[in-house]
Amino acid sequence: MATEDVKATGWADQDHVPEIKSELLELNMGPQHPATHGVLRLLLETDGEIVYKVTPVMGYLHRCAEKIAEGVNYKQWVVYTDRFDYLAPMCCNHAYVTALEKLMGQEVPERGEHLRVVAAELSRIASHLVSLATFGLDMGAFTPLLYMFREREEILNLLERIAGGRMLYNYMVPGGVRYDVPDDKWIKDVLSFVDMMETKKVPEYNTLLSYNKIFIERTANVCVISPEDAFTFGCTGPVLRGSGVSFDCRRDDPYGAYPKFDFEIPVGQGQMGAVGDCWDRYFVRMLEIEQSCRLIRQALETLPDGPYQAIELKKPVKAPMGAVYSRTESAKGELGHYLIGDGGQTAFRNKVRSPSFCNLQVVTKVGVGQMVSDLVALVGSLDIVLGEIDR
Amino acid sequence: MDALIALIQNAPGAANMSAQALHNTAAALMATLMFTVMALCAIVFTWMERKVAGFLQNRYGPMRTGRWHGWAQAVADMLKILGKEDIIPAEADKGLFVFAPILVLLGSLLAWAAIPWAPGFVAADLDLGLFYIFAVSSLVIIGILMAGWSSNNKWALYGAARGAAQMVSYEIPLALATIPVIMYTGSLNTQDIVIAQQGGLANWYIFRDPFLFVAFWMYFIASIAETNRGPFDMPETESELVAGYHTEYSGMRFAFFFLSEYANLFLVSLIAVMVFLGGWWAPLPLLDVIPPALTFIIKGVMMVFFNMWVRWTLPRVRVDQLMHLCWKVMIPIALICVLGSGIIQMVRG
Amino acid sequence: MAQYFADIYEAVSSVLKGMRITFKHIYKKPVTLQFPDERQVMPERYRGFVHNDMTKCDSCNICAKLCPVDCIYIESEGKGKARMMTRYAIDYNKCIWCSLCTENCHTGSITMSHDYDHSVYDRRTLVYEFMDPTQETIPCHRATRIDMGWWVEPKEDKPKPKPKPAAEAAPPAETAPAPEAPPPADDKPAPGTPTPDDDKGVEN
Repeated sequence: MATEDVKATGWADQDHVPEIKSELLELNMGPQHPATHGVLRLLLETDGEIVYKVTPVMGYLHRCAEKIAEGVNYKQWVVYTDRFDYLAPMCCNHAYVTALEKLMGQEVPERGEHLRVVAAELSRIASHLVSLATFGLDMGAFTPLLYMFREREEILNLLERIAGGRMLYNYMVPGGVRYDVPDDKWIKDVLSFVDMMETKKVPEYNTLLSYNKIFIERTANVCVISPEDAFTFGCTGPVLRGSGVSFDCRRDDPYGAYPKFDFEIPVGQGQMGAVGDCWDRYFVRMLEIEQSCRLIRQALETLPDGPYQAIELKKPVKAPMGAVYSRTESAKGELGHYLIGDGGQTAFRNKVRSPSFCNLQVVTKVGVGQMVSDLVALVGSLDIVLGEIDR
Repeated sequence: MDALIALIQNAPGAANMSAQALHNTAAALMATLMFTVMALCAIVFTWMERKVAGFLQNRYGPMRTGRWHGWAQAVADMLKILGKEDIIPAEADKGLFVFAPILVLLGSLLAWAAIPWAPGFVAADLDLGLFYIFAVSSLVIIGILMAGWSSNNKWALYGAARGAAQMVSYEIPLALATIPVIMYTGSLNTQDIVIAQQGGLANWYIFRDPFLFVAFWMYFIASIAETNRGPFDMPETESELVAGYHTEYSGMRFAFFFLSEYANLFLVSLIAVMVFLGGWWAPLPLLDVIPPALTFIIKGVMMVFFNMWVRWTLPRVRVDQLMHLCWKVMIPIALICVLGSGIIQMVRG
Repeated sequence: MAQYFADIYEAVSSVLKGMRITFKHIYKKPVTLQFPDERQVMPERYRGFVHNDMTKCDSCNICAKLCPVDCIYIESEGKGKARMMTRYAIDYNKCIWCSLCTENCHTGSITMSHDYDHSVYDRRTLVYEFMDPTQETIPCHRATRIDMGWWVEPKEDKPKPKPKPAAEAAPPAETAPAPEAPPPADDKPAPGTPTPDDDKGVEN
């Protein structure tokens, strides 16, 4: 406490307050820290438990992905998009192929679009499960993490059966998807998984974690992001929706087969505290899992027959000259690709607007004045993936 | 102690020992026994913690070392930790850094002296036994503060500061919760407390009156905080403070903290059994065939299981909420328990 | 004051509910697989370590060109009928299991196997040489291979079935400049250059 502060309290004899020299403690949170979800480094200036300044330092996972895009052809770069948000690779695949098809003017068969929605939504559930689980872990609840990973494992098994990979799928290709549904049993398994998720698992998580009093105390009214702040920093996805703004690219800038389906956009209601607190961001993801289940069920029940890819796999993909910006709703928020084609098989430039990067910036404002423990809650509730931030 | 002395006296070749020599031999034996039990319980409970966590979380836990459910895992871990390099940071205060783990271990070891394992079988039959236990286990706080501060690491300092604040605060509800029991017994002697609970389940202090029931839970919550385990593991808070006060420790010195954590865990569980759950008395007359010491230990292990169950279910509270819980919730309730129980005792005569 | 007690009640009840859920899981069967003893059955499409069948491979270099990370090393010497393959190696340190090489292989020699546990002590051993160490060179050209009795007809029932005409058109491809043996110096054609047959077929 500085001398002025001591005087201001009125407790000490005004004339006899000694000159206390004090300074803020600089604290390096990361890049190797259990709560920063990867290799994020937060430079904190703290006074005891209170944080006065937060500076995110990024770049520890930079892999020059955008530069690589200029060197490999369009189809090869689909592989690299898996590695952005490695928790929801299908959504990243989807974002890129959507941009590429927009540049090519390529139509996608109905069946392909439906399969893309199924895959992307399964991936979104998996990503949200990891997000909720690690948020719980940041709050010190270890058991929900393993319960959620158990369900994520089932999603990975399902995706493995359709796409061949557990984590990095390379499933979507320009003009469709790489493989058709393996068999009818797969569809049945997905539907039964979705039912199980909605009826059993989500209520279980809610009882175990969401409505736990300690958890509510830790997250409600903590690190409130106002809608204005969320707009200013370009937040999207569950972070923006947690602040009470109903915006979702799937509905507001439709792509793929999403306009055909009926689903809701959950927003933060401030049930446990203020609108836009950590609990709201957490719970929006929980509600989105249910909406994704609805989407998967609709997409599979109305799965049309017919081709699932418009361009044969062996064919090289060429895109005309031109530039497009296409945005999709990935699990973390608005994932945009600005793609410049030079008429050949390789992009001239591919700029990626990654949601985690924009979402993270909000810590510089909201993290100030919070406690160290609350900062951990904030970073956990933003659900950042460093692979996507640094690319 | 007396039982042990009698035992030694009857041993061959001990007939002509002086009283002092007998006493010393018994004390040395007891100390060795205590230390062995403590080291053993650290090994057993690390294994048990993993298995309990595993089964609560729908997985197995260790399965391979030693074939049957990985029973040798903790032994293997101990051996591994013995072989680790002992690192002392260059900028650390070397003396304090080395001394801190010993102090922590000492604090939890000393308290074991007053635990009554069976009738007459207690290392130090003190008139102020319970008071002695609470007093001596406070040493741990100094050790933790020392460890965190001397490491010269900011995270460790945070952990130490949090730990000191937490443990000093939770000593109060911990001790307050046992006061009704002391009022019933009229003695602080640990054996007397247990003897007063003879006669089946209904005579255990936890079921004597409703206030004591609440007091037991106050004691239980405070004991979790006192042992620095989840949901009150503020000094460690692995997701916030990396590893808290022992961030810089490695090898055997780290093992001392580890040992002390599990020794403390068993200690507070045994105290709970001793004070509230009838000590070595079996709950039903049918179970009287079990030796008293075994009954005592089984009850203690069940309390430990309960402790682990709580730890692996709940999220962690924040440091200011921890203080709020202590000063604004638990201490008032504990005081009400003391008052209410006192009134009931007065009415009953 | 009412809020104070309501909070305490809520805390106690929610904690008890949570503990009931975790306790129930003690009786459930753990989901863990005891890995080396029990193994997961890999689905048909599982992409494990890349395998190359040397009896089918004709060193056309398409896989090496398509690989986004350049992990396939193919060396050959000579031209035309006399072309001999001297090295075929895959560097699993680099491989990203994207499967782009397999779906463009026209002989079906390179496939994704179901192997997934190749733990090694030295990462240099992860560069797999597919050539038999006793053989210094392998002839690449199809006619030579047939003489050796090594040639296996190109696989037709690949996961992505080719259009039917491709099978019928295969024999004439021997004379035509088909992609079976493109000259190694020919870098111009893009990976997976469509053969005339391919134009027919957006399949399905």
